[in-house]
Amino acid sequence: MAQQRLALWNAEEDLEEDVDMTIALDGYGQNVQYEDSHIHQPQIDESTLLAMQQHMAQQAAFQQIPDVVKSFIVHFHQAVLDNNLAEITVAYESGWNKYTEKFYSKTEWPEAELIAPLVNDDPIFLILYRELYYRHVYSRLQPNIDDRFHSYENSCELFNYLLNSDGPVELELPEQWLWDIIDEFIYQYQVFCTWRSKVTTKTPDELLMLAEGGPVWSSYSVLNVLYSLMQKSRVNEYIIAQREGKSAEEIAEIVGEYGQRPLYRMLGYFSIIGLLRVHVHLGDFTLGLKVMENVELNQKTPFTRVTACHVATYYYVGFCYIMLRRYPDAIRTFVTILNFIMRMRQYHTRSYQYDQINKTADRMYALFAMCHALSPSRLDDNIANIAKERYGEQYAKMARGGSDALAAFEELFIYACPKFITANPPPYEDPVAINALISSSADAESPTQSSPQADSTHRHLDLFLADVAAQLQVPTLRSFLKLYTSLGAKKLANFLDADEEELVQEMMVLKQASRSISRVTGSEGTSLLDGQMITTSDLNFVIDENMVHIAESTIGRRYAGWFIKNTERTQKILDDLKNMPLPVPPKTSGGTASGVNSQQQAEAVAGQNRPARSGQKVVWGGVKTA
Amino acid sequence: MTSEWLTPSTRSELIENLVSGVDRYNPSNVSILEDYLYHQIRSEEYDCLANLAILKLYQFNPELYNPDVVINILIKALTASPLPDFNLCISLLDERPLNAQLDEPDPLPTVLPILKGLHSLLFRCRFPAFWEIYQSAELENLRDNYTVEVAGFEDAVRAVAIRAVRATFTRISSERLGSYLNLSSSDLIAYIQKLGWPVDSSTSVVTIPPNPDNQIEATVVQESVKLPQLTKIIAHSVAKA
Repeated sequence: MAQQRLALWNAEEDLEEDVDMTIALDGYGQNVQYEDSHIHQPQIDESTLLAMQQHMAQQAAFQQIPDVVKSFIVHFHQAVLDNNLAEITVAYESGWNKYTEKFYSKTEWPEAELIAPLVNDDPIFLILYRELYYRHVYSRLQPNIDDRFHSYENSCELFNYLLNSDGPVELELPEQWLWDIIDEFIYQYQVFCTWRSKVTTKTPDELLMLAEGGPVWSSYSVLNVLYSLMQKSRVNEYIIAQREGKSAEEIAEIVGEYGQRPLYRMLGYFSIIGLLRVHVHLGDFTLGLKVMENVELNQKTPFTRVTACHVATYYYVGFCYIMLRRYPDAIRTFVTILNFIMRMRQYHTRSYQYDQINKTADRMYALFAMCHALSPSRLDDNIANIAKERYGEQYAKMARGGSDALAAFEELFIYACPKFITANPPPYEDPVAINALISSSADAESPTQSSPQADSTHRHLDLFLADVAAQLQVPTLRSFLKLYTSLGAKKLANFLDADEEELVQEMMVLKQASRSISRVTGSEGTSLLDGQMITTSDLNFVIDENMVHIAESTIGRRYAGWFIKNTERTQKILDDLKNMPLPVPPKTSGGTASGVNSQQQAEAVAGQNRPARSGQKVVWGGVKTA
Repeated sequence: MTSEWLTPSTRSELIENLVSGVDRYNPSNVSILEDYLYHQIRSEEYDCLANLAILKLYQFNPELYNPDVVINILIKALTASPLPDFNLCISLLDERPLNAQLDEPDPLPTVLPILKGLHSLLFRCRFPAFWEIYQSAELENLRDNYTVEVAGFEDAVRAVAIRAVRATFTRISSERLGSYLNLSSSDLIAYIQKLGWPVDSSTSVVTIPPNPDNQIEATVVQESVKLPQLTKIIAHSVAKA
């Protein structure tokens, strides 16, 4: 009900624009309007007139939709009706983006009401259409408050349909889309919270709507959706049953009628990842890893089939580990996924999410550089070299320690950290309090600094920097200790121009910084929070009263990685060579002959390309090789 | 190592269900968790995840906010150093509007910086400085109103120092150890005896028993190549053959 009322009220404003447009664009519309106003005016009350005008405006707008788009929507609808996953995938991943580029790169797609006749007013398709419609608004345009509220309502309708129909619904959607639904839901929640927290930029209308907004994008409602999807699909029970090697029948019994359907199972999976992300946005790093309890982080789990999900999972898990001071775990997490991204790069370029993945990867290189400076390891020289290449200047400062380091850590943290949000809105429902807040924020010298959003980012930054600051002396101490096998504490204190007792206490910090809790290998099936204390440094020492004894464990040079990489490379080169067309014979003088030649050559090239392509697995969302 | 932190043996089934289930979001359960916190405080128990669940409820339901509970949670988390518990708690303390409906002025804004300072000293192993500041006149309010209620607080701080000393030293002078523990003469001797650490009667140097952290050995780690690393190459050769 509320939505309908809103739409009608909305129409009044839209009308002026739409009528103008009709006049400008459509002579027919102008004529009708002219006659209407002269002949029928006395008998027609205002609301009927409005309705008619609206109807005409809609018709005109409908005519504006390019025919290819209309037939695309019809086709798309049919694919959804048929549950034809292949066709839906093509429409979703390629068609939608193609027409966005062509017709809607700077404007909205046609409103759902407008295209409704094309799809027989199919309510489910219209919900899905709106899901795409709003996602496009958020990513390409500036959503206004109505968009923000309506996209929330539409998400609720979608989840209601999935969760509260009589039994599981028959719908099937590609995995990529299912992930995008969950991902976008959380993204819109996050940007809404950020937008909501900036009180000074709100118009009176917006203030009013926010005051009456109620549960729109509230943290509870978002968590509710994700937990419901997780529980309805019994995805955790499914994962455990799989791990225990239960038979297909047993699993079907365990997961129930919902969990048997791929749609629900994947939504369940993605909701777990979604919860991880929401908890990180809210600063709850332990809970983030706790919801992942049953999900195994390896390349075989189902969520890895959707690359965007795969990458996001590792990013958030890695960040949680940083905030838990478990730098070795963070490093391992980032190395795994960065290697994966690098290996898959050749396929990425074809994806519409290529840019997004690259940006996340870049942030993970920054996070990796930070962890690597705090806890140097030789886990993967290749990734370490790329990180040092991209963030060389910062890395050098961070690794050196001392006063310059903090600024570099801060810069990279701000760049690479997730968006933090405050769970609760400013007191919009309380006019006195909100006005006080607005005027105090307006008085503040820089309003951006005082917004709660900036505060929550800074709160996490400060915590991280405090941890880092405690370790600033560590690189210096290590570099001195490396030179000795034993050394008096007093002598070392003299080198550093420090008090002996202070130095001894600093040595305890060094010891602390060389230990970390870490998930040990072979801990499959245990929570991501599990772990054991490990040594993270090659340099070990102990203090015997006032004498420091030092021992260094050296790691023999690693050859295997280098040989494996180069063997693989050689194999590839050999394959490529074998697949190359035979060299073209030297050019003969006859013109016709050379024409035939080049044609043959082209055929040869095309011929050798084809088998090579189709042999490759398309990792990226599973688009059919076009 | 982490299992006691994730699920302390003292945690009851009721609390376990709250911590691990969806019921943790139900505001009406906050009093159960708060009672559990006060139980921890009286009986020298500690359950970080249960306390984080309280802060989570406060984060979502500002009207539940109770500053004394928050302060007690932070004090308990303080002595978990060098584990990140204290930071994890702070992460959940959202900024709250100043006009929170409280009968008395909120003590948290004044206590929080003090606690952060104390945490920093513990994390940076500045134990003598910690005791000096903790016992200073400025912190009388914290001691009289809060830490006095937390059973075994000072011993918990000593345990932090002992963890650092055990990892770093093979032998340490009584004097230095005493300055870390804020103990002297007979109290110190009694404490060391309780730890079971031998003391040289003539030099009064304490020997720390060997443990994995204070044993050092120079080693050379050799690489071992695992089969999965080679699967691609082998698979490729087979496919081509």
